[in-house]
Amino acid sequence: MNRTLEHILPKVQKPARYTGGEYNAVVKDSRSVTTRFALCFPDTYEIGMSNLGCHILYGVMNERDDVWCERCYAPWGDMEEEMRREGLLLYGLESGDPICDFDIIGFSLGYEMAYTNVLNMLDLAGLPLRSKDRRDLAPLVIAGGTCCYNAEPIAPFVDFCVLGEGEEVTLEYIDLYQKAKDECWTKDEFLLEVAKIPGIYVPSLYDVTYKKDGTIEAITPTSGAPAKVTKRLIQDMDKSYFPVKTVIPSTEIVHDRVMLELFRGCIRGCRFCQAGYVYRPVRSRSPELLAQYGKAACEDSGYQEMTLSSLSSTDYPCLLELCDNLLDYCAPRDIGLSLPSLRADTFSMSLMERLQRVRRGGLTFAPEAGTQRLRDAINKNLQEEDLLQSCRTAFSGGWNSVKLYFMLGLPTETDEDVLGIADLARKVYFAWKECSSNKARGVRITVSTSWFVPKPHTAFQWEPQIPVEEYQRRVNLLRDALKRDKSITYNWHDPQTSYLEAIFSRGDRRLADVLEWAWEHGSKMDAWSEYFDYQRWMDALDACGLDGDFYAHRPREKDEVFPWAISDVGVSRDFLWHERELCYESTTTPDCRSKCSACGANKLLTGGRHCG
Amino acid sequence: MADRLLFSKTGRAKYISHLDLMRTFQRAFARAKIQIKHTEGFNPHPFVSIALPLSVGYSSQCEILEFGLLGDVPAEEVPERLTAAMPEGIIIHKCYPAERKLKELAYVNYIINFEYPEGRPHECEGAIHELLGRDSLIVKKKSNKSKKGYTEVDLIPLVKSWTAECQSDCMTLDMILAAQNPGLNPELIHGAFCEAYPNYAPDFVSFHRRDVLDADGKIFR
Repeated sequence: MNRTLEHILPKVQKPARYTGGEYNAVVKDSRSVTTRFALCFPDTYEIGMSNLGCHILYGVMNERDDVWCERCYAPWGDMEEEMRREGLLLYGLESGDPICDFDIIGFSLGYEMAYTNVLNMLDLAGLPLRSKDRRDLAPLVIAGGTCCYNAEPIAPFVDFCVLGEGEEVTLEYIDLYQKAKDECWTKDEFLLEVAKIPGIYVPSLYDVTYKKDGTIEAITPTSGAPAKVTKRLIQDMDKSYFPVKTVIPSTEIVHDRVMLELFRGCIRGCRFCQAGYVYRPVRSRSPELLAQYGKAACEDSGYQEMTLSSLSSTDYPCLLELCDNLLDYCAPRDIGLSLPSLRADTFSMSLMERLQRVRRGGLTFAPEAGTQRLRDAINKNLQEEDLLQSCRTAFSGGWNSVKLYFMLGLPTETDEDVLGIADLARKVYFAWKECSSNKARGVRITVSTSWFVPKPHTAFQWEPQIPVEEYQRRVNLLRDALKRDKSITYNWHDPQTSYLEAIFSRGDRRLADVLEWAWEHGSKMDAWSEYFDYQRWMDALDACGLDGDFYAHRPREKDEVFPWAISDVGVSRDFLWHERELCYESTTTPDCRSKCSACGANKLLTGGRHCG
Repeated sequence: MADRLLFSKTGRAKYISHLDLMRTFQRAFARAKIQIKHTEGFNPHPFVSIALPLSVGYSSQCEILEFGLLGDVPAEEVPERLTAAMPEGIIIHKCYPAERKLKELAYVNYIINFEYPEGRPHECEGAIHELLGRDSLIVKKKSNKSKKGYTEVDLIPLVKSWTAECQSDCMTLDMILAAQNPGLNPELIHGAFCEAYPNYAPDFVSFHRRDVLDADGKIFR
């Protein structure tokens, strides 16, 4: 291990995050590979190591003998301070070598509030922040992940973005990079070529012009760049890479268990949900293969816990069959099987009772809205009676704590809808009184509300976020309504973070200056309350002459050119607009299995495949 | 009685904390397909216990872990299979049935290295002799139990014997310290040295456990 690092580590909290050397970490001879890749996650080790996508890409790349992919996470403040003092550059965990000497530096972007960490990590690596200031071919700085469906706020910092699922396209651009390296291409030559790979968006090849009112006039491709970049997706999940062998952390992380990915996409079509639209169409893995993978992953990792992962596990067609199969393996070995993302219906509850023989934690449901009218408007197809029946089953089975998640500020929301949240919580309380097997223990019902953030590529991409005063008023309304209910706790999300998310999620490239200003003045780790400084962000917007409300609170015209106009997720804009209109009529859209709504995503499937 | 493992923890593994190490062992047994006894009760989990918790950042070549071997894996096979299932830096040397009680473990032999990359002050050696030659050396030790937030410990009776060896850029202490009830963490000696002789404080100090001994000074296993 590097001597400087060895002298630093005794001074920092949780040093095992910074050492590498975990079981299954891949170590290669750097002289035997042609491409060194730093897979960077712009948050702490504990968060980044919990990311399934990163485990997949790590495995896909390291399967190749000529590529060595290493991991890199954002150091916590104490570590950063020591690194800067000692002049230790940001390094790959496997080799300890500085990532500025690598060929490709790839960031996984899943959350807007991690953007400043991207800048901070580039700086810690000793690299210029902006793409145009990094003249050489290597290291390329690239990004992937959900945020790339609107990558504009970070566009000037990255050389290119990958849209969609990375298993195949990653190897395609690595191949092109190796050719470029062999033939001594310039970075510009490489970027022109890489833009021809489907799913790759090179921001510097697009000119953006603005109207007087600040909206975008046009986004013009140059140098033959494509007018639309369509996201990549895996056609056949049964043939795609599954990470049986993953790096097993030697210290505790957030999701410290086997993650079994059932399917991608979601059949539900909730109108606020970006994941529900951008991961379409639904593609499932076969239950036989999943059972095999799940067992193999348990054997290899030694994990005592497995979780089934998807956007809505109840919608997996062979869930019972799979669970029975896995339980036969897990139960005799004391391996716990957990199923998050269940719908609040009776089927799920009977399933949960079978799974959770021990470790009876709380139950969490996300009705999202308090009245049936608003739930219909956002197409959250959950009936009140289903939710209450689930609660009754849970309470009679001995559960005594329920968390209910809602959003405030959804389009068409009225005070009646806000107060409906309190009514629903009370009905859950009465369900407990009616069914609880042990009333002496009491019940804990927690209601949490967040401030709705409209996202790109959803039916609500045109919608304004409601003003903060209005959000606060609705919070107060609900708080007053719940004041006298001793068994109901009400938590609400702090509005400052949600406002910034609203700015950046639908932001344009001018916001890059805001990011850089905020970072220069100390912003980093903005997802952590220890670090988040709202005023600094307001100062950053001021300093750059931009208005946060313009991005967060402005209703968009039907035909406005959005900053994310180049990215195509398969779902048509007309479909999204139609869904928005149905919202205002409080009309639901059936799920994809009941009836195809012709969103357009099935066109992404080749060879006559259909969604499922 | 239980089974024991003798293992070392060096290199990158030095920074794995005590609790994390226990979890790592539980998983490594599962990975190596070595069945071990589980705790009984509401939430059964594989039982492992480490004799003397090692501070984060210290290395050791004499760690002892207690567990119960089940199934048909012969004890001789355990070290190799388990080492293969471990993170880098943890090596299992021996698996054997426990024959002595852990409370017979009385002393730990530590190698403590005071590093002076810019050159060692000549006076270090005299200073450590003065310090450890005192009749008593009382230091404050953090304590959650005490109201004051610390307790006072006299280090001298807890040091059984020691030698110092000096080189141009370091001073190496070879010390036999009380292991338990109460034990002495060698960091307290480093701390007391730096407090008494701030001018000779090393730039960096490393701690290594070389062996564990019984009351007669013989190797404990």
